[in-house]
This record gives sequence, structure tokens and C-alpha cells, in this order.
Amino acid sequence: MSSITEYRSGGMGWRWAGRIFLVFLLGFTIMPMAWMLITSLKTGFAAMQYPPQWWPTEPTLDNYWRLLDPSGSVGQDFLRYFWNSMWVSVVTTLLAVAVAVPAAYAFSRFRFPGRTFLFFAVLLRNMFPAVVFLVPLFILMRVLGLVNTHGSLILTYLTFGLPLAIWLLKGFYDNIPIQLEQAARIDGATRFQAFFLIVMPLSTPGIIATSIYSFIGAWNEYIYAYTFLTRHDQMTLPVGIQRFFSENATDWPGLMAATFLMSIPVVVLFLVLQRYFVRALTEGAVKH
Amino acid sequence: MAQVVLKDVVKNYGPVYAVNRVSLTVEDGEFVALVGPSGCGKTTTLNLVAGLISMSGGAVTIGDRDVTNLDPKDRDIAMVFQNYALYPQKSVYKNLAFPLQMRKLPKEEIDKKVRDAAKTLDITHLLERKPRELSGGQQQRVALGRALVREPRVFLMDEPLSNLDAKLRVQMRSEIKRFHQDLGATIIYVTHDQLEAVTMSDKMAVMNGGFLQQYDSPANVFAHPVNMFVASFVGSPAMSLVPLTAASKGTQVVLTSPEGWEMPLSDANGRKALSATSNKVVLGGRHSTIKVHKVQVPGAVPGKVYTVEPTGDVTFAQVFVSGATVNVSVPPSFALRPDEPVFLEFDQDRMHLFDGETEMALRL
Repeated sequence: MSSITEYRSGGMGWRWAGRIFLVFLLGFTIMPMAWMLITSLKTGFAAMQYPPQWWPTEPTLDNYWRLLDPSGSVGQDFLRYFWNSMWVSVVTTLLAVAVAVPAAYAFSRFRFPGRTFLFFAVLLRNMFPAVVFLVPLFILMRVLGLVNTHGSLILTYLTFGLPLAIWLLKGFYDNIPIQLEQAARIDGATRFQAFFLIVMPLSTPGIIATSIYSFIGAWNEYIYAYTFLTRHDQMTLPVGIQRFFSENATDWPGLMAATFLMSIPVVVLFLVLQRYFVRALTEGAVKH
Repeated sequence: MAQVVLKDVVKNYGPVYAVNRVSLTVEDGEFVALVGPSGCGKTTTLNLVAGLISMSGGAVTIGDRDVTNLDPKDRDIAMVFQNYALYPQKSVYKNLAFPLQMRKLPKEEIDKKVRDAAKTLDITHLLERKPRELSGGQQQRVALGRALVREPRVFLMDEPLSNLDAKLRVQMRSEIKRFHQDLGATIIYVTHDQLEAVTMSDKMAVMNGGFLQQYDSPANVFAHPVNMFVASFVGSPAMSLVPLTAASKGTQVVLTSPEGWEMPLSDANGRKALSATSNKVVLGGRHSTIKVHKVQVPGAVPGKVYTVEPTGDVTFAQVFVSGATVNVSVPPSFALRPDEPVFLEFDQDRMHLFDGETEMALRL
């Protein structure tokens, strides 16, 4: 932040105005998360008090223990949903990357008839809102007998995730100089070896970025999961945590604790893998 | 090392011919420069020899093997790229070792060869570094090292010096030349810089529009260009070309200009001029063969100074002659001013005449 403001020309006044704006923006994005965390530490009674307790007078981790206790019924369900979400998201991501890597490479390197058309056809899917495909896909899944299976979700998420993954990865492959492969092929590598030994490692940041994107998309998806799955033991987290809403009362602390636990995998993914986003690997490969 | 033969090599993309029926033989141990303006097909030709792109027609032999349909890896060649194409994730050592690993050499042998190559190129102290930690000149050496570590039959080089700054380029030019002499390597070298081609190569292949224009020693290409393109491409400053009309006047042949002046030709030149397909003849002269006079002398043609460029040893000037620009050189003491009228005397023995229709050199 400071380097940006220092870099900018303009007077002190603007600089401070910029900082204040950024602080405001930061507060705006962090507030809901902070409130989520605070509420998750309250008892059900404390959560409903007015005026609200900004900090719980008796902070408790009970809500978390309840969710993570496999012997209780709440914990059993929650861990089931968590596992379902993880399974669907991981499989979706692995499949998306496995298909997108060769596809993106082909789009980047080969000139074949219909290449441009195919590439835009791939993207066409993402130009429509998800709801448009809800009913057609549901009918399709019913015909295929996939309703109430995780397969229906994985297939659906791939139709969203794959085009994006291909598009993202193609950008990475476009930036890797073709001479590197040519050099490898002259040095004795087959086409496949040139790709596997030279190009693939260089596109690792791209593959990781794509994986995160695909994982988050699947992890957070709600409407298809809500439509395709009706059995409790199949549900994924976004749908499953609705059980904290009931007709009579909403268990706000429980809901917030579940939401917090749900956001952990995404945050961890980002923290562990963020260095790959910023690594400029091809630097020094060629003279620009 | 080996001989390389290209026979009627063609590469076309639909109706566009990047390389058109190119045939040439690179003898064992020869340094051949493929030279021409950008888009002339020189890099495509090199890539065809390397096998990086498929041929539309013709054949390539390296040594006694027809490699036309072989993969690059099976052609036993090495290539140095314009952007070096060093593997960025690998250390210099691993960059040099890669071609040997691909050929499954034993570890000790790889180590020995890598260290020998590094020693030859004076990059031993860089072996543990990554390419991005090297200067342009060092990267260039590593690229050269990766090519020579394998002792290939042919070295292919695609504008290897064009990313270096002027001073380093001159230095690396002589190093590559010595590298060629020491190893007796067969080298095919692509460049757009005719000076590089002239100074480094045993033979130069001048290309234009996908066609091989002339293939000869630099001295012969310089002295006897086959057509107007080669004449104007090789040499610095370029050969000047003046379009004129040939006419017989009694027993003599003269070149006439639209302005009305005449330039008598020697017997030999006269016969050349008359052999043209029409009376259109283009007069060609290099700056070193044109004398500049301030007064009219017999046989000299009138012109007007356009620009004067002193370089220290010699002053170059551009002179307008009958609508064309003629490059001349004079001693620094010979003061020329822009717009000054001058008279140019072309050396009859060293002038060039071209057919105005076919653009080919007129020869007896």
C-alpha cells in the first residue's frame, strides 16, 4: 500500500485521502468476517441480545465442539457435509486440471481447423448465468440417473470450471517461449518430454492458480447442490449448513461457527500457495 | 561433423511460400550464413534443417543420412536460439547436462563433458547459477555451451548475436568464428546483418522472398552480385543503382538519362548493355569505385549533393543522379556542401550493369 502511494505523484492531501479510503474499504470487507467470528463465540442467548455485545462477555468454543464432535448428531452431519464438499471439490479440481492442461496447451501451440471457433465455444458456456442451465441440467441428470449423486455436481462444476481453467492456462502457455520446447526437442527430447520436463514445470504457478480457482468455485457452489441433492447424507456444506435455520429459531452462533469452519480450507489454500501466484518463473528464460 | 545438403526444399502455408525450392550444399566444416531481410525465409529454412517444422517438399541430408522425416532429436544437431532459450528452472550445469541426460549418458561422463564445455567457454564459475542471474553475454555463452557439449554433427544458429549490445556483439562474433576454426564445426548461421555474414562466413546464402538468390563466398557475392537485390543488400553503404537507357551511337554504346546526358561505355560494358532484354539498363556502382569531381570530366555524369556524412577517416555523401540516390565517398579534405553540383565518374572495370526488366546482372 505504501509503495503505491509513494509512487503516485500528487500532494499529501490526496495521499491521506487515499489511505483513509483504503482503511474504510478494509473495514468494510473485514467487518462481516469479524462479526461472524465474534458471534460464533457467543452463547445462543448472548447472540440475540440488544444492544449487541461487541465482544462476548462469556466467550465459548462450545459451538465448535458441537460441530466437530462425531458422536453428536450435529457433529455427525456437519462432518459428513464437510467430507462431501471436500470430495466433490477435490475431484472436480483434479479432473479440471487434468483436462485443462493438455487442452490449453493445444490451444496455445497448435494451429488446427476450427481452433478459434472451438476456443470461443468453450467460453460461450460462461456467458450465461448459472440459473439458465439449472433446469436443463437437472433433466439431463435425471435421465442419466445422476440425481442425488456427487457425480451430478462434479460434472456440472466441470462445465463451469473447465472453460475458465482452459482460458487461464492458455494464457500461461502463451507466455512460455516456444523456443524452450524447440531447444528441448533438439537436445533429444520427444514432444511429450519437452512438454513434461520443460513446459509443465514452468506452468506450475498457472496450474496452481487454476486449481485454487476451480476448488473455490466448487466449494462455494450452492444452487446446483441445492437442486441436485435431496438426500441428507449427500449434501455439501453450503446446502447443509441451512439446517441451522429452522422454522422456530435460527442457531446463529452455530451457523457462524459452521461458516467459519467452512472458510478455513479456502484461506489455508491461499496462504500456502500464494507464493506461486507471484513467482515470475520465466524471468531470465529469454531476453525480452 | 558432416556435410548438409538441402535439395529443392519447399515450405508453403497454403498459397504462401516461405521457402521456395532452395537447394544448397554445406560442406563438412564450413561456416555458411543464411542472410536476407526479415521474412525472406532464412529462419524457416533453418527450422526445416532442424526438423522443428515439417517440409512441404524436398529433402535434407546430414552426413550420409536422409533426415527429411526424422524428429529433431534424431538429427544429431544442436541449435542456438536468438533468445537463447535456456531452461529457466534449471541451473547452468543442468542446462548443459540436459542434452546428455536425454541421451542417457552415464553420470560421470556427463559431469566430465559439462565441465569441459564450461572450461572451453569460461563459464565454470557460473555453473550453479540460474539463467536469470546471468548477463546477456553470459547467457549467450551458456547457450553456446549447451550446443557444443554434445558434439553434434551440425550447429544451427538463429541470429545468436542480435540480442547483444554492439560492443559485445563484435566480441562474440570473433569468439564464434574462433569456435568454428578450433572445432572445425559445420555451422549454419542465420542473420539479417549482412556485415555479420560477410565477416564470419565461408559462404553466404542470400535469400529473398523465399528464394535463394545467390550462394557463394562473401568476396564473390560482393564482387559479382547476380541481381539487383543481392547488389543492394550486400555491402555498406549499399551499392547504388541508377536506371538508365542504353543506346548505340556509332560504334559506341552509351547510357542515356531522361535529363539528356550520356555516359559512354567501354567495349565490354557496351556488349553487356546490348545483351539486355530491352534497352532498359540499370547502372550499379559501389562508393569505392566512383570518383567525385567538382568540374566536368569526360565520361562523368552530373549530380547534386544531397547529404554529407563525415565519419572521420572518410566522408560519405549521397548524390542525386537522374532521380536515383548514389552513395559516394571522398577524403575528409574534399569539402562537399549539400546542393552542390558534382560530376561522378564510374570505374568502367568495376561498374555493374543490370537488366532493367529482369533485374539480373548482365554478364558476357
